[in-house]
Amino acid sequence: MAKLSKEAAAVTTNKRPLTTSLYFYRGFYIMFIPVLVFAILFHYLPMYGIRYAFTTYKGVKDPVFIGLGNFTKMLGMPAFWSAFGNTIYLSVVKLLLNTFAAVALSLLLNELRSLKFKKFAQTLVYLPHFMSWVVTASVFTLILSPTSAGLVNSILVKLGIVQAGNEIYFLADQKWWVPMYFMINVWKDTGWATIIFMATLSGISPELYEAAGIDGANRWQAMRYITLPALANTIITVLILNLAKIMNLFESVFVMQNDAVMKQSDVLQTYIYTQTFNSGALPDYGYTTAVGLASSIVGCILVLVCNKASYKVRGRGIM
Amino acid sequence: MRPRKAGLADYVIVAVFIVICFIMIIPIYKVLIDSLDLKTAYGMKLFPEQFGLAGYISVFTNPTLYGPFLISVIATVSGTFMGLAISTLGAYVLIQWDMPGRTLLANILLFTMIFSGGMIPTYLVLSSLHLTNTLWAVILPPAINVYNLVLMRNFFEGIPTALFESAEIDGCSPMKIFFGIVLPLSKAALTSIGLMFAVSYWNDYTNYKLYITKQNLYNFQMKLRSLIMGSDLPTAVGGATENTVKNAAVIVAILPFMIIYPFCQQYFIQGVNIGAVKE
Repeated sequence: MAKLSKEAAAVTTNKRPLTTSLYFYRGFYIMFIPVLVFAILFHYLPMYGIRYAFTTYKGVKDPVFIGLGNFTKMLGMPAFWSAFGNTIYLSVVKLLLNTFAAVALSLLLNELRSLKFKKFAQTLVYLPHFMSWVVTASVFTLILSPTSAGLVNSILVKLGIVQAGNEIYFLADQKWWVPMYFMINVWKDTGWATIIFMATLSGISPELYEAAGIDGANRWQAMRYITLPALANTIITVLILNLAKIMNLFESVFVMQNDAVMKQSDVLQTYIYTQTFNSGALPDYGYTTAVGLASSIVGCILVLVCNKASYKVRGRGIM
Repeated sequence: MRPRKAGLADYVIVAVFIVICFIMIIPIYKVLIDSLDLKTAYGMKLFPEQFGLAGYISVFTNPTLYGPFLISVIATVSGTFMGLAISTLGAYVLIQWDMPGRTLLANILLFTMIFSGGMIPTYLVLSSLHLTNTLWAVILPPAINVYNLVLMRNFFEGIPTALFESAEIDGCSPMKIFFGIVLPLSKAALTSIGLMFAVSYWNDYTNYKLYITKQNLYNFQMKLRSLIMGSDLPTAVGGATENTVKNAAVIVAILPFMIIYPFCQQYFIQGVNIGAVKE
């Protein structure tokens, strides 16, 4: 019905000349003005600012055109390459770990027999999603703190694994920072990521399980041959959707890093931030814009590739 | 789902979940208990050793702490309304399928999801607009969230077109249809997307870090960060230790959403599902 009337409307408007049509929709164009103003101010004007990438711009004097100078400087910077590598490594491993954990948790949730307990467990695992990265980092800074008030160290001391006075400074230790970063991410995001898998699982027809039961399949086999294949498409979708965003990695790393673990934790966005606002010297906006542009281009390519992959896998784009 | 007797596997799964629930809750519980304990607590305790609300009293009587809390409230409330206004207006125009130029307008918005100017050019634009060091810098830019706008459009698509048509025949203006039909029919969507905006405004740290250098415009997340990092030691009152105040501040930062979350869980989940598994 709705489709029919939409087509009918299309026929009538097609007969209208453009000027009449523009006049007919005048109210809508006016309504769109605020949206357009916001998009121009906060998205398109910054894009226009990309021209600084080809200049030296220290803020006080006018920008001086230097061609590709910033990019040659960038490519010769070990700190840039280290940040680039860390961005890819941290976000890809994080994505794989979180997705794997979310699938495992969804499969387990799906096997819970008590609906009440299932609801309770779901409510609980969703909780950390609402905590900001600042709060999450604060909670774990307090818990992992090397002082005697730190929960983990006090337990390790009690168990005799670590000697008092030799406590591990987890978030400022080059060996520990990366595993801690991944663990905290899994703690925070796994629960929320199960929502989309649970939605898929609730769509599986119970008849499939009944038929499998009649054929003598046990629980493990039902999970392996019915539940998991049903999730396959969703898993690929989630991976594609998130892969498109990996260059955006910033806040979660920024609130957990410190000088002691800079080599392990510096990613492109934090590199741009510290080079601009914390370098001590007069910032060169031109250089950091150039690094940002490189990151945006890689991100853009990833989005387009993921979009194509998404069309192949599920017949529609990621947007 | 499958009527069977509970087997060994079921007990194992329940046991696994009990462990998972503990892992989720222990970090939060530890902070909660420490925030109510006037002594600096060592290890894990079920209850505070010396119960007292002095930590919370310190947070809410100290202007350098309740000031940022108020900033958070102001930015969250006004930002959520601003975000909803932009999303609903944009979404409503984008469902006018026969409007000349509709595709162009949609593409102008969608392109911003693919490519962005980046952190520094955005900072330079806000700074040249004289928005840095004002609350506008943290309220206005996040209000145009194309992802949320597209979600809203997906919700609006569910409204029967016949309703719009009969209203048009009755001579209603687009504005009148928007306020009289679209918005009242989209309460669930408004709640869902409004909550998403509210969470991101409340939890915002990056925008403050980039655009705000005046201490009196810091939000609670910024203040909490400097408390925990020790660059800004809290003034404790009523026998609270510094540790108590830190823990109390963490709890205050998560309290608003912990309170409304159990009542609004379905709206949060709806927002995720409509975005991801839209047919």
